Amino acid sequence: MNSERLISFRQVSVDFGERTALDNVSVLLDQKRIAVIGSNGSGKSTFARLLNGLASASRGEVRVHGIDPIRQARLLRRRVGFIFSNPDSQIVMPTVAEDIAFSLRGRGLSRTEVDERVSRMIQTHGLSHHENSAAHSLSGGQKQLLALSSVLVSEPQLIVADEPTALLDAANTRRISNHLLDEMPQQLVLVTHDLRLAERCDTALWFDQGRLRRCGEPRAVIAEYERSHP
Amino acid sequence: MIGLYRPGTSVLHRMPTGLKLVCFIGASLAIATTTTSLWQVISALTFVMTGYACAGLSARVLASQVVAARWIILFMLAPQLLFLPAIDAVTNTARVALIVILAALFTLTTRIPDLLDATERACAPFRRFGIRPEAVALVLALTITSIPVIAGFAATIRDAQRARGIPPHRLSFAVPLLIMSLKHADDLADAVSARGIEP
Ligand SMILES: Nc1ncnc2c1ncn2[C@@H]1O[C@H](COP(=O)(O)OP(=O)(O)OP(=O)(O)O)[C@@H](O)[C@H]1O
Ligand SMILES: [Mg+2]
Repeated sequence: MNSERLISFRQVSVDFGERTALDNVSVLLDQKRIAVIGSNGSGKSTFARLLNGLASASRGEVRVHGIDPIRQARLLRRRVGFIFSNPDSQIVMPTVAEDIAFSLRGRGLSRTEVDERVSRMIQTHGLSHHENSAAHSLSGGQKQLLALSSVLVSEPQLIVADEPTALLDAANTRRISNHLLDEMPQQLVLVTHDLRLAERCDTALWFDQGRLRRCGEPRAVIAEYERSHP
Repeated sequence: MIGLYRPGTSVLHRMPTGLKLVCFIGASLAIATTTTSLWQVISALTFVMTGYACAGLSARVLASQVVAARWIILFMLAPQLLFLPAIDAVTNTARVALIVILAALFTLTTRIPDLLDATERACAPFRRFGIRPEAVALVLALTITSIPVIAGFAATIRDAQRARGIPPHRLSFAVPLLIMSLKHADDLADAVSARGIEP
Protein backbone atom coordinates (compact mmCIF):
# COMPACT_ATOMS: atom_id res chain seq x y z
CA MET A 1 0.00 0.00 0.00
CA ASN A 2 1.14 3.52 -0.82
CA SER A 3 0.85 5.28 2.53
CA GLU A 4 1.43 8.71 0.92
CA ARG A 5 -2.06 8.58 -0.52
CA LEU A 6 -3.87 6.20 1.77
CA ILE A 7 -7.53 6.89 2.38
CA SER A 8 -9.07 4.72 5.06
CA PHE A 9 -12.65 4.31 6.27
CA ARG A 10 -13.26 2.14 9.30
CA GLN A 11 -16.91 1.23 9.92
CA VAL A 12 -18.06 4.71 8.97
CA SER A 13 -21.72 5.67 9.20
CA VAL A 14 -23.34 9.05 8.61
CA ASP A 15 -26.85 9.81 9.87
CA PHE A 16 -29.02 12.78 9.01
CA GLY A 17 -31.66 12.56 11.71
CA GLU A 18 -33.58 9.34 11.04
CA ARG A 19 -31.98 8.81 7.65
CA THR A 20 -28.72 6.91 7.23
CA ALA A 21 -26.75 8.34 4.31
CA LEU A 22 -23.76 6.03 4.76
CA ASP A 23 -24.04 2.70 6.49
CA ASN A 24 -21.00 1.01 8.02
CA VAL A 25 -18.51 1.64 5.23
CA SER A 26 -15.03 0.18 5.54
CA VAL A 27 -12.48 0.56 2.77
CA LEU A 28 -8.77 1.17 2.15
CA LEU A 29 -7.79 3.08 -0.98
CA ASP A 30 -4.38 4.05 -2.31
CA GLN A 31 -5.03 4.16 -6.05
CA LYS A 32 -4.36 7.32 -8.02
CA ARG A 33 -7.78 7.58 -9.65
CA ILE A 34 -10.80 6.45 -7.68
CA ALA A 35 -14.27 6.45 -9.20
CA VAL A 36 -17.45 6.61 -7.11
CA ILE A 37 -20.70 5.47 -8.75
CA GLY A 38 -24.24 4.67 -7.66
CA SER A 39 -27.80 5.85 -8.14
CA ASN A 40 -29.26 9.14 -6.81
CA GLY A 41 -29.26 9.33 -3.05
CA SER A 42 -26.96 6.35 -2.62
CA GLY A 43 -24.44 8.29 -0.51
CA LYS A 44 -21.77 9.28 -3.05
CA SER A 45 -21.70 12.96 -2.15
CA THR A 46 -21.73 12.15 1.54
CA PHE A 47 -18.71 9.90 1.00
CA ALA A 48 -16.93 12.67 -0.93
CA ARG A 49 -17.75 15.33 1.66
CA LEU A 50 -16.29 13.18 4.44
CA LEU A 51 -12.93 13.36 2.67
CA ASN A 52 -12.48 17.07 3.34
CA GLY A 53 -14.48 17.52 6.48
CA LEU A 54 -17.58 19.10 4.91
CA ALA A 55 -19.48 16.20 6.47
CA SER A 56 -18.56 14.35 9.64
CA ALA A 57 -18.95 10.70 10.51
CA SER A 58 -21.61 9.83 13.07
CA ARG A 59 -19.69 6.63 13.85
CA GLY A 60 -16.39 5.15 12.73
CA GLU A 61 -13.12 6.67 11.67
CA VAL A 62 -12.02 8.47 8.51
CA ARG A 63 -8.34 9.12 7.70
CA VAL A 64 -7.09 10.90 4.61
CA HIS A 65 -3.32 10.62 4.15
CA GLY A 66 -3.17 9.94 7.87
CA ILE A 67 -5.10 13.11 8.74
CA ASP A 68 -8.37 13.32 10.66
CA PRO A 69 -10.55 15.54 8.40
CA ILE A 70 -12.50 17.07 11.29
CA ARG A 71 -9.92 17.48 14.05
CA GLN A 72 -7.12 18.53 11.70
CA ALA A 73 -9.33 20.46 9.30
CA ARG A 74 -6.88 23.24 8.61
CA LEU A 75 -4.07 20.87 7.71
CA LEU A 76 -6.37 18.72 5.63
CA ARG A 77 -7.84 21.53 3.54
CA ARG A 78 -4.36 22.38 2.32
CA ARG A 79 -3.97 18.83 1.04
CA VAL A 80 -7.43 18.24 -0.35
CA GLY A 81 -9.11 20.31 -3.05
CA PHE A 82 -12.84 19.97 -3.73
CA ILE A 83 -14.71 20.61 -6.97
CA PHE A 84 -18.52 20.86 -6.86
CA SER A 85 -20.90 20.28 -9.75
CA ASN A 86 -22.41 23.75 -9.78
CA PRO A 87 -19.71 26.13 -10.95
CA ASP A 88 -21.75 29.18 -9.93
CA SER A 89 -21.58 28.50 -6.23
CA GLN A 90 -17.81 28.02 -6.29
CA ILE A 91 -16.94 31.50 -7.47
CA VAL A 92 -16.12 33.65 -4.49
CA MET A 93 -14.46 36.70 -6.06
CA PRO A 94 -15.60 39.05 -8.84
CA THR A 95 -12.95 38.46 -11.51
CA VAL A 96 -11.16 35.35 -12.77
CA ALA A 97 -7.71 36.35 -11.52
CA GLU A 98 -9.05 37.49 -8.14
CA ASP A 99 -10.94 34.24 -7.68
CA ILE A 100 -7.86 32.11 -8.28
CA ALA A 101 -5.73 34.34 -6.06
CA PHE A 102 -8.29 34.01 -3.26
CA SER A 103 -7.22 30.37 -2.70
CA LEU A 104 -3.74 31.58 -1.76
CA ARG A 105 -4.85 34.02 0.93
CA GLY A 106 -3.24 33.63 4.29
CA ARG A 107 -0.43 31.40 3.03
CA GLY A 108 2.26 34.01 3.50
CA LEU A 109 3.15 34.22 -0.19
CA SER A 110 4.51 37.43 -1.69
CA ARG A 111 2.35 39.35 -4.11
CA THR A 112 4.63 38.52 -7.06
CA GLU A 113 4.55 34.85 -6.19
CA VAL A 114 0.75 34.91 -6.03
CA ASP A 115 0.55 36.73 -9.38
CA GLU A 116 2.94 34.26 -10.96
CA ARG A 117 1.06 31.21 -9.77
CA VAL A 118 -2.27 32.72 -10.82
CA SER A 119 -1.11 33.51 -14.35
CA ARG A 120 0.38 30.04 -14.74
CA MET A 121 -3.03 28.55 -13.84
CA ILE A 122 -4.83 30.91 -16.19
CA GLN A 123 -2.58 29.86 -19.05
CA THR A 124 -2.74 26.12 -18.39
CA HIS A 125 -6.52 26.17 -18.39
CA GLY A 126 -7.06 28.32 -21.45
CA LEU A 127 -8.48 31.29 -19.58
CA SER A 128 -5.85 33.76 -20.83
CA HIS A 129 -8.30 36.11 -22.50
CA HIS A 130 -10.48 36.22 -19.43
CA GLU A 131 -8.01 37.13 -16.71
CA ASN A 132 -9.87 40.31 -15.76
CA SER A 133 -13.32 39.26 -16.93
CA ALA A 134 -16.24 39.04 -14.55
CA ALA A 135 -16.17 35.45 -13.36
CA HIS A 136 -19.96 35.25 -13.58
CA SER A 137 -19.99 36.21 -17.24
CA LEU A 138 -18.07 33.06 -18.23
CA SER A 139 -19.81 30.07 -19.81
CA GLY A 140 -20.56 27.01 -17.68
CA GLY A 141 -17.52 25.16 -19.01
CA GLN A 142 -15.22 28.11 -18.46
CA LYS A 143 -16.56 28.52 -14.93
CA GLN A 144 -15.74 24.90 -14.21
CA LEU A 145 -12.24 25.45 -15.61
CA LEU A 146 -11.99 28.43 -13.29
CA ALA A 147 -13.13 26.33 -10.33
CA LEU A 148 -10.48 23.76 -11.25
CA SER A 149 -7.80 26.46 -11.51
CA SER A 150 -8.81 27.92 -8.16
CA VAL A 151 -8.43 24.51 -6.56
CA LEU A 152 -5.22 23.45 -8.30
CA VAL A 153 -3.40 26.75 -7.64
CA SER A 154 -2.91 25.84 -3.99
CA GLU A 155 -1.27 22.55 -5.07
CA PRO A 156 -3.33 20.01 -3.14
CA GLN A 157 -2.30 16.35 -3.16
CA LEU A 158 -5.83 15.00 -3.51
CA ILE A 159 -8.66 16.36 -5.65
CA VAL A 160 -12.22 15.35 -4.78
CA ALA A 161 -14.65 16.13 -7.60
CA ASP A 162 -18.40 15.66 -7.09
CA GLU A 163 -19.95 15.30 -10.56
CA PRO A 164 -17.70 18.00 -12.03
CA THR A 165 -19.04 17.46 -15.55
CA ALA A 166 -22.74 17.20 -14.73
CA LEU A 167 -23.59 20.60 -16.21
CA LEU A 168 -21.13 20.59 -19.10
CA ASP A 169 -21.46 19.90 -22.82
CA ALA A 170 -19.51 17.11 -24.55
CA ALA A 171 -16.48 19.23 -25.45
CA ASN A 172 -16.08 20.72 -21.99
CA THR A 173 -16.67 17.35 -20.36
CA ARG A 174 -13.80 15.95 -22.41
CA ARG A 175 -11.58 18.86 -21.52
CA ILE A 176 -12.22 18.74 -17.76
CA SER A 177 -12.16 14.95 -17.54
CA ASN A 178 -8.93 14.66 -19.56
CA HIS A 179 -7.33 17.10 -17.23
CA LEU A 180 -8.54 15.34 -14.09
CA LEU A 181 -7.88 11.81 -15.28
CA ASP A 182 -4.79 12.05 -17.46
CA GLU A 183 -2.91 15.32 -17.13
CA MET A 184 -3.04 16.02 -13.44
CA PRO A 185 -0.40 14.35 -11.23
CA GLN A 186 -2.60 14.41 -8.11
CA GLN A 187 -4.69 11.66 -6.64
CA LEU A 188 -8.36 11.93 -7.64
CA VAL A 189 -11.69 10.87 -6.18
CA LEU A 190 -14.28 11.30 -8.93
CA VAL A 191 -17.99 11.03 -8.17
CA THR A 192 -19.78 10.55 -11.48
CA HIS A 193 -22.85 9.23 -13.28
CA ASP A 194 -20.79 9.04 -16.47
CA LEU A 195 -19.69 5.40 -16.49
CA ARG A 196 -17.20 5.99 -19.30
CA LEU A 197 -15.29 8.31 -16.99
CA ALA A 198 -15.50 5.80 -14.14
CA GLU A 199 -14.05 3.17 -16.45
CA ARG A 200 -10.92 5.26 -16.95
CA CYS A 201 -10.12 5.18 -13.22
CA ASP A 202 -7.90 2.68 -11.40
CA THR A 203 -10.58 1.51 -9.04
CA ALA A 204 -14.31 2.01 -8.62
CA LEU A 205 -16.61 2.16 -5.60
CA TRP A 206 -20.28 1.38 -6.03
CA PHE A 207 -22.65 2.73 -3.39
CA ASP A 208 -26.15 1.39 -3.02
CA GLN A 209 -28.54 2.83 -0.42
CA GLY A 210 -25.68 4.02 1.74
CA ARG A 211 -23.78 0.75 1.64
CA LEU A 212 -20.57 0.09 -0.22
CA ARG A 213 -21.84 -2.67 -2.48
CA ARG A 214 -18.67 -3.35 -4.51
CA CYS A 215 -15.16 -2.00 -4.79
CA GLY A 216 -12.49 -3.03 -7.26
CA GLU A 217 -11.51 -3.14 -10.91
CA PRO A 218 -13.73 -0.52 -12.65
CA ARG A 219 -14.88 -2.70 -15.57
CA ALA A 220 -16.06 -5.48 -13.28
CA VAL A 221 -17.81 -3.11 -10.87
CA ILE A 222 -19.51 -1.17 -13.67
CA ALA A 223 -20.65 -4.35 -15.41
CA GLU A 224 -22.28 -5.57 -12.23
CA TYR A 225 -23.80 -2.13 -11.56
CA GLU A 226 -25.32 -2.09 -15.04
CA ARG A 227 -26.69 -5.61 -14.63
CA SER A 228 -28.48 -4.59 -11.43
CA HIS A 229 -30.00 -1.52 -13.16
CA PRO A 230 -31.26 -2.91 -16.46
CA MET B 1 -22.90 49.68 -10.00
CA ILE B 2 -19.83 48.03 -8.60
CA GLY B 3 -17.17 48.41 -11.27
CA LEU B 4 -15.02 45.41 -12.02
CA TYR B 5 -11.33 46.01 -11.51
CA ARG B 6 -9.62 47.33 -14.63
CA PRO B 7 -5.88 46.81 -14.57
CA GLY B 8 -3.77 49.92 -15.01
CA THR B 9 -0.72 51.80 -13.81
CA SER B 10 -2.27 55.20 -12.98
CA VAL B 11 -1.75 57.10 -9.74
CA LEU B 12 -5.09 55.79 -8.52
CA HIS B 13 -4.09 52.19 -9.28
CA ARG B 14 -0.79 52.56 -7.46
CA MET B 15 -2.06 54.47 -4.44
CA PRO B 16 -2.09 52.42 -1.20
CA THR B 17 -5.61 51.05 -0.80
CA GLY B 18 -6.16 52.35 2.73
CA LEU B 19 -5.16 55.88 1.80
CA LYS B 20 -7.29 55.69 -1.34
CA LEU B 21 -10.28 54.58 0.70
CA VAL B 22 -9.86 57.50 3.10
CA CYS B 23 -9.53 59.95 0.17
CA PHE B 24 -12.64 58.60 -1.53
CA ILE B 25 -14.67 58.73 1.67
CA GLY B 26 -13.46 62.30 2.17
CA ALA B 27 -14.36 63.30 -1.37
CA SER B 28 -17.80 61.69 -1.07
CA LEU B 29 -18.48 63.53 2.17
CA ALA B 30 -17.37 66.78 0.57
CA ILE B 31 -19.72 66.24 -2.35
CA ALA B 32 -22.55 65.25 -0.03
CA THR B 33 -22.24 68.32 2.17
CA THR B 34 -21.26 71.08 -0.24
CA THR B 35 -23.02 70.45 -3.54
CA THR B 36 -26.14 72.56 -3.25
CA SER B 37 -26.02 74.93 -6.19
CA LEU B 38 -25.76 74.24 -9.87
CA TRP B 39 -22.22 75.53 -10.22
CA GLN B 40 -21.16 73.32 -7.32
CA VAL B 41 -22.68 70.34 -9.10
CA ILE B 42 -20.72 71.27 -12.20
CA SER B 43 -17.47 71.55 -10.29
CA ALA B 44 -18.11 68.23 -8.54
CA LEU B 45 -18.84 66.68 -11.92
CA THR B 46 -15.58 68.08 -13.27
CA PHE B 47 -13.81 66.62 -10.23
CA VAL B 48 -15.26 63.14 -10.80
CA MET B 49 -14.48 63.29 -14.53
CA THR B 50 -10.90 64.32 -13.73
CA GLY B 51 -10.71 61.32 -11.42
CA TYR B 52 -11.72 58.96 -14.21
CA ALA B 53 -9.25 60.64 -16.56
CA CYS B 54 -6.45 60.31 -13.96
CA ALA B 55 -7.19 56.59 -13.73
CA GLY B 56 -6.73 56.33 -17.48
CA LEU B 57 -10.36 55.30 -17.93
CA SER B 58 -12.16 56.30 -21.11
CA ALA B 59 -15.32 58.37 -21.37
CA ARG B 60 -17.06 55.13 -22.35
CA VAL B 61 -16.27 53.57 -18.95
CA LEU B 62 -17.60 56.68 -17.20
CA ALA B 63 -20.72 56.58 -19.36
CA SER B 64 -21.33 52.92 -18.55
CA GLN B 65 -21.18 53.75 -14.83
CA VAL B 66 -23.79 56.46 -15.36
CA VAL B 67 -25.95 53.93 -17.21
CA ALA B 68 -25.49 51.46 -14.35
CA ALA B 69 -26.74 54.15 -11.94
CA ARG B 70 -29.75 55.04 -14.12
CA TRP B 71 -32.35 53.49 -11.82
CA ILE B 72 -31.07 55.38 -8.81
CA ILE B 73 -31.12 58.55 -10.84
CA LEU B 74 -34.62 57.90 -12.11
CA PHE B 75 -36.08 56.88 -8.76
CA MET B 76 -34.64 59.93 -7.08
CA LEU B 77 -35.46 62.39 -9.80
CA ALA B 78 -39.07 61.49 -10.60
CA PRO B 79 -40.70 62.07 -7.18
CA GLN B 80 -38.61 65.12 -6.45
CA LEU B 81 -39.64 66.76 -9.69
CA LEU B 82 -43.25 66.58 -8.47
CA PHE B 83 -42.65 68.40 -5.22
CA LEU B 84 -39.53 70.51 -5.63
CA PRO B 85 -38.40 73.16 -8.05
CA ALA B 86 -36.68 71.45 -10.99
CA ILE B 87 -33.30 72.92 -10.17
CA ASP B 88 -33.33 71.49 -6.61
CA ALA B 89 -34.50 68.10 -7.83
CA VAL B 90 -31.63 68.00 -10.29
CA THR B 91 -28.95 69.08 -7.78
CA ASN B 92 -30.19 66.59 -5.18
CA THR B 93 -30.14 63.74 -7.68
CA ALA B 94 -26.82 64.77 -9.19
CA ARG B 95 -25.24 64.78 -5.73
CA VAL B 96 -26.17 61.17 -5.05
CA ALA B 97 -25.37 60.02 -8.59
CA LEU B 98 -21.93 61.61 -8.42
CA ILE B 99 -21.13 59.82 -5.17
CA VAL B 100 -22.24 56.50 -6.65
CA ILE B 101 -20.09 57.08 -9.73
CA LEU B 102 -17.16 58.09 -7.56
CA ALA B 103 -17.54 54.90 -5.55
CA ALA B 104 -17.43 52.94 -8.81
CA LEU B 105 -14.13 54.65 -9.63
CA PHE B 106 -12.77 53.20 -6.41
CA THR B 107 -13.73 49.64 -7.30
CA LEU B 108 -12.56 50.09 -10.91
CA THR B 109 -9.04 50.88 -9.71
CA THR B 110 -8.80 48.58 -6.69
CA ARG B 111 -8.22 44.84 -6.71
CA ILE B 112 -10.54 43.04 -4.32
CA PRO B 113 -7.68 41.22 -2.54
CA ASP B 114 -6.11 44.62 -1.81
CA LEU B 115 -9.43 45.89 -0.53
CA LEU B 116 -9.63 42.81 1.70
CA ASP B 117 -6.18 43.47 3.12
CA ALA B 118 -7.02 47.14 3.75
CA THR B 119 -10.30 46.17 5.42
CA GLU B 120 -8.54 43.64 7.61
CA ARG B 121 -6.01 46.24 8.70
CA ALA B 122 -8.69 48.85 9.34
CA CYS B 123 -10.71 46.43 11.47
CA ALA B 124 -7.71 45.13 13.40
CA PRO B 125 -8.16 47.54 16.36
CA PHE B 126 -11.69 46.13 16.88
CA ARG B 127 -10.35 42.64 17.42
CA ARG B 128 -10.43 43.20 21.19
CA PHE B 129 -14.20 43.69 20.96
CA GLY B 130 -14.53 40.23 19.45
CA ILE B 131 -14.70 41.36 15.83
CA ARG B 132 -12.67 39.20 13.46
CA PRO B 133 -11.18 41.34 10.68
CA GLU B 134 -10.79 38.38 8.27
CA ALA B 135 -14.49 37.66 8.62
CA VAL B 136 -15.48 41.27 7.96
CA ALA B 137 -13.31 41.35 4.83
CA LEU B 138 -14.69 38.03 3.62
CA VAL B 139 -18.30 39.13 4.06
CA LEU B 140 -17.55 42.28 2.10
CA ALA B 141 -15.97 40.34 -0.78
CA LEU B 142 -18.72 37.72 -0.93
CA THR B 143 -21.38 40.43 -0.96
CA ILE B 144 -19.75 42.12 -3.93
CA THR B 145 -19.42 38.81 -5.77
CA SER B 146 -22.95 37.66 -5.02
CA ILE B 147 -24.74 40.68 -6.47
CA PRO B 148 -24.65 39.42 -10.08
CA VAL B 149 -25.61 35.90 -8.94
CA ILE B 150 -28.72 37.07 -7.08
CA ALA B 151 -29.61 39.32 -10.03
CA GLY B 152 -29.34 36.20 -12.21
CA PHE B 153 -31.76 34.32 -9.89
CA ALA B 154 -34.24 37.17 -10.18
CA ALA B 155 -34.10 36.98 -13.97
CA THR B 156 -34.50 33.18 -13.92
CA ILE B 157 -37.56 33.35 -11.65
CA ARG B 158 -39.20 36.05 -13.75
CA ASP B 159 -38.63 33.99 -16.91
CA ALA B 160 -39.90 30.78 -15.35
CA GLN B 161 -43.05 32.50 -14.07
CA ARG B 162 -43.69 34.21 -17.37
CA ALA B 163 -43.24 30.90 -19.20
CA ARG B 164 -45.92 29.32 -16.99
CA GLY B 165 -48.19 32.33 -17.26
CA ILE B 166 -48.02 33.21 -13.56
CA PRO B 167 -48.95 36.87 -13.17
CA PRO B 168 -46.22 38.96 -11.55
CA HIS B 169 -46.77 39.31 -7.82
CA ARG B 170 -44.42 40.48 -5.14
CA LEU B 171 -44.77 37.40 -2.93
CA SER B 172 -44.61 34.80 -5.70
CA PHE B 173 -41.37 36.49 -6.68
CA ALA B 174 -39.82 37.05 -3.26
CA VAL B 175 -40.29 33.53 -1.88
CA PRO B 176 -38.39 31.63 -4.60
CA LEU B 177 -35.77 34.37 -4.69
CA LEU B 178 -35.22 34.00 -0.95
CA ILE B 179 -34.99 30.21 -1.22
CA MET B 180 -32.54 30.31 -4.12
CA SER B 181 -30.43 32.92 -2.33
CA LEU B 182 -30.29 30.86 0.87
CA LYS B 183 -29.30 27.76 -1.11
CA HIS B 184 -26.61 29.81 -2.82
CA ALA B 185 -25.33 31.08 0.54
CA ASP B 186 -25.15 27.49 1.78
CA ASP B 187 -23.22 26.26 -1.27
CA LEU B 188 -20.93 29.27 -1.14
CA ALA B 189 -20.11 28.60 2.50
CA ASP B 190 -19.10 25.05 1.55
CA ALA B 191 -16.97 26.31 -1.32
CA VAL B 192 -15.22 28.87 0.89
CA SER B 193 -14.36 26.35 3.59
CA ALA B 194 -13.36 23.73 0.99
CA ARG B 195 -10.80 26.27 -0.23
CA GLY B 196 -9.25 26.31 3.19
CA ILE B 197 -10.40 29.79 4.17
CA GLU B 198 -11.73 29.72 7.71
CA PRO B 199 -14.92 31.76 7.79
N1 LIG C 1 -27.68 17.65 4.59
C1 LIG C 1 -28.52 16.61 4.55
N2 LIG C 1 -29.60 16.56 5.34
C2 LIG C 1 -30.44 15.51 5.32
N3 LIG C 1 -30.29 14.46 4.50
C3 LIG C 1 -29.26 14.45 3.69
C4 LIG C 1 -28.31 15.52 3.65
N4 LIG C 1 -27.37 15.22 2.73
C5 LIG C 1 -27.71 14.03 2.22
N5 LIG C 1 -28.84 13.55 2.79
C6 LIG C 1 -29.47 12.27 2.48
O1 LIG C 1 -28.47 11.27 2.45
C7 LIG C 1 -28.68 10.38 1.39
C8 LIG C 1 -27.45 10.31 0.52
O2 LIG C 1 -27.25 11.57 -0.11
P1 LIG C 1 -26.05 11.88 -1.09
O3 LIG C 1 -26.14 13.32 -1.40
O4 LIG C 1 -24.79 11.41 -0.49
O5 LIG C 1 -26.42 11.04 -2.36
P2 LIG C 1 -25.72 10.98 -3.79
O6 LIG C 1 -25.32 9.58 -4.02
O7 LIG C 1 -24.68 12.02 -3.89
O8 LIG C 1 -26.93 11.33 -4.75
P3 LIG C 1 -26.93 12.14 -6.13
O9 LIG C 1 -26.50 11.17 -7.20
O10 LIG C 1 -28.36 12.50 -6.30
O11 LIG C 1 -26.03 13.30 -5.99
C9 LIG C 1 -29.92 10.87 0.65
O12 LIG C 1 -30.99 10.07 1.06
C10 LIG C 1 -30.08 12.28 1.11
O13 LIG C 1 -31.43 12.63 1.13
MG1 LIG D 1 -24.46 13.84 -5.03
